[in-house]
Amino acid sequence: MHDIYNFVSGPLVWVSFIIFFGGSLYRLISMAVLAKKKDVIVYEYMSLKYGLRSILHWITPFGTVKWRKNPILTIVTFTFHICLIFIPIFLSAHIILWKESWDISWWYISDTTADVLAVVVIASCVFFLIRRIVLPEVKYLTSVSDYIILAIVAAPFITGFWTYHQWPGFKIMGIIHILSGEIMLAAIPCTRLIHMVFFPFTRGYMGSEFGAVRHAKDW
Amino acid sequence: MAEPAIKRSDESNKIVDEGIDKGIARLTPKKIEQVINKVLAAETGARLKTYVGTCVHCGLCSEACHYYLSHDNDPKFSPAGKVKQTIWEILKKKGKVDQKFIRDASRIAYTECNLCRRCAMYCPFGIDIAYLISIVRRLCHMLGVTPLYQQDTAHSHSATLNQMWVKEDEWTDSLFWQEEEAQDEIPDLRIPVEKEGAEIFYSVIAPEPKFRAQLIYQAAVIMNVAGVDFTMPATPGWDNSDLCMFTGDYEVMGRLKKAHFETAMRLKVKRIVMGECGHAFRSVYDVGNRWLAWKMPPIPVTHAVEFYYELLKEGRIKIAEKYDKPVTFQDPCNIVRGRGLHDKARYVVDALCEEFIEMHPNREHNYCCCAGGGVINAGPPYKMKRIEGNKIKAEQLFAAKTRGAKVVIAPCHNCHGGLEDIIHHFGLDMELHFLGDIIYKIMEKPV
Amino acid sequence: MGKRTLIIYMVITLLVCIFAVMSGYSQEDVTTVEDSAFEEKMRPTVQFLHDEHNEAAEIEEECNVCHHVYEEGKKVEDESSEETECSECHTLNKGDNPLSLVKVYHLQCKGCHQKKKAGPIMCSECHPR
Ligand code: HEM
Ligand code: HEM
Ligand code: SF4
Ligand code: SF4
Ligand code: SF4
Repeated sequence: MHDIYNFVSGPLVWVSFIIFFGGSLYRLISMAVLAKKKDVIVYEYMSLKYGLRSILHWITPFGTVKWRKNPILTIVTFTFHICLIFIPIFLSAHIILWKESWDISWWYISDTTADVLAVVVIASCVFFLIRRIVLPEVKYLTSVSDYIILAIVAAPFITGFWTYHQWPGFKIMGIIHILSGEIMLAAIPCTRLIHMVFFPFTRGYMGSEFGAVRHAKDW
Repeated sequence: MAEPAIKRSDESNKIVDEGIDKGIARLTPKKIEQVINKVLAAETGARLKTYVGTCVHCGLCSEACHYYLSHDNDPKFSPAGKVKQTIWEILKKKGKVDQKFIRDASRIAYTECNLCRRCAMYCPFGIDIAYLISIVRRLCHMLGVTPLYQQDTAHSHSATLNQMWVKEDEWTDSLFWQEEEAQDEIPDLRIPVEKEGAEIFYSVIAPEPKFRAQLIYQAAVIMNVAGVDFTMPATPGWDNSDLCMFTGDYEVMGRLKKAHFETAMRLKVKRIVMGECGHAFRSVYDVGNRWLAWKMPPIPVTHAVEFYYELLKEGRIKIAEKYDKPVTFQDPCNIVRGRGLHDKARYVVDALCEEFIEMHPNREHNYCCCAGGGVINAGPPYKMKRIEGNKIKAEQLFAAKTRGAKVVIAPCHNCHGGLEDIIHHFGLDMELHFLGDIIYKIMEKPV
Repeated sequence: MGKRTLIIYMVITLLVCIFAVMSGYSQEDVTTVEDSAFEEKMRPTVQFLHDEHNEAAEIEEECNVCHHVYEEGKKVEDESSEETECSECHTLNKGDNPLSLVKVYHLQCKGCHQKKKAGPIMCSECHPR
């Protein structure tokens, strides 16, 4: 138990963070290099002003026609994504670990808040799962990998919640939690979760084409 | 060959298209793999990779597409659904796909997507499905699997630099003929051919001299009354249309646009004004110039809608009496999502017509007519499919009609062709006009 | 809930595995770890059976394994600090982030457990419901 704990909370954390940051950086740079080589067009037409204009609309809840047309999805996806990033960064348990290893700390949320938000994330994942199974247009696009990705994202929340509430097997669950968090981080640059990194670029490029060249809105 | 089986398995494959079928017959899996990988390696890069790697398979783009909506939300017609059936599969199999696959891919790319780019406004990531489908078209072109009628226009472009096999003397004859006709109405009217140093090169698409010569007539009247210093060339390069852009024959597209721009240069004009055509505008303003490495067209390009806007705003043409039938307006993708001309178009419509009834959705969000992107040029075999693929447009038009609209204005040749069929097939009983038709009809003319 | 309250609440939470126990009560049976500097508790108080722990850890005679005294950054070998609350040295000024005190407790308990591969290490092993 101690050996496993020491391993997952030590070297594996390093590994996952290196894969996450290094991998994301690698994906970004290789995209930039490839674009320079094969799609110079992207550099030519990318416009800071119009790119940001589009991005801003799209990251604002109900800021686009699409978001307004699907209010439930919009609410779910925004809360999901915000919580997803917010909880792990501002969770007291996590910050304490940062404090112990690096002597750094920052503002954190109460455990009760975290608990509620974790439930929100888990519920959102269930929503996405149901949507994927029930809606024909989503089902049609779905492959096994989509379920795996969803599971990878849901896992740290389920296991974290489990551990916090000390449900049966919480000790093992704590270890699984740490592992699952690491898997999620590492999965970001290796799977479609890279959408987090690429979003500003794909949206920004479309916004630039629409705004600067075509003088039209893309939202 | 396995053809009978294919026909049974997919209804729309009942459509016999010699261009596609004969092209397929010439292929082998090995050739397919070679061509695909060669083209992908040479011509695609970060955009393809990033788009495919970023798509989270969420299906949010579905409701953007008129094909999807018109086929009762059949996911096979959703934007990402079409990409799944083509590009994803090609990438997954690294080009090792068979003839049947290419046949389906060609059908999807050429006849089930208008490259209208509406979906880019519904995908949160702004994934450019039209670009991805264009890649499929490019592959099919390189494999020699293109719809027969479309390929015929591409051949015409290649041989004559115009879309309709119009011979050089036929072209100038049409101009002189229309000049003469119009002189019955306005005796000193001219269609100045080859006038070097004119301010404007007025360019049209080949169907105008071929089938719709009255459009040249009307344009000549408008130009003359407004006192516009314009010219039309006598040489190839007069046609601004470009079906090669849609078949994936970018080499010929480059030749076409080069000829067009060079004609403008030769005539030393200040800008090109083009007739009411959407796809031609896309080619000149957005796609063809890029192939020639011009970030923006080397010479300013103005679409008819914007040109009319200028003429009306500056009072160079005056309206004798406003058009009295209630009208609605089709926002053509290529000049609205493609150039943001929707507000100017509305200015023009308001200036011309007494009553304007909006279609919904409108402006950038308008549904495509389902004729663009070369789909109407795929010809008679696909006519019914094209019309049925845009039931939603019929509903949209019908809704405008119930609110009183009697006339549809469509400032785009493709839209015109598409809407005509839709109006007819669904028994909508609405009139269809170009802006030029209406301006010509109601403008003040010298007597 | 105010930020300060939260902070303090949580700090207490983290009185995890306290060897570094304090105070002059060592004669009585110690069953929990508490520090008056943690005004409010975020997680439940850490249960700690002093004598049993030391027996198991085989440090019954060496109080200063936990109750250490440092002078100029060096541990003074033959002194110990049973009478002192940790927070007297590991001071927590008003407005300070109590995490620094939490950290000290955690490293003292959990840190040693990790090294010795014995004793609780997960949050909830020390802060049970
Ligand atoms: C990288 C390594 C990680 C470590 C070492 C770690 C460690 C911990 C620890 C020690 C707890 C406290 C459990 C308890 O209270 O008993 C916890 C809780 C939690 N963690 Fe993590 N974690 C990691 C990654 C992640 C990630 C990536 C996420 C989410 C994306 C995450 C989400 C959560 C959640 C939601 C809780 C429970 C909150 C609650 O219900 O109160 N963790 N984690
Ligand atoms: C901040 C950057 C991010 C942006 C802009 C973003 C955007 C999006 C969008 C637009 C969707 C599609 C809409 C939907 O189905 O909800 C989506 C889906 C999703 N995102 Fe993100 N995302 C970001 C970060 C993340 C991160 C960090 C994760 C997890 C590691 C994540 C996990 C997911 C998942 C699992 C889905 C798919 C839900 C499904 O299965 O349908 N996203 N994201
Ligand atoms: S037809 Fe238009 S909306 Fe449909 S997939 Fe093609 S580009 Fe997208
Ligand atoms: S193209 Fe965009 S909207 Fe469509 S499935 Fe992919 S990510 Fe979702
Ligand atoms: S024909 Fe008209 S509506 Fe259709 S693609 Fe062209 S511009 Fe779009």
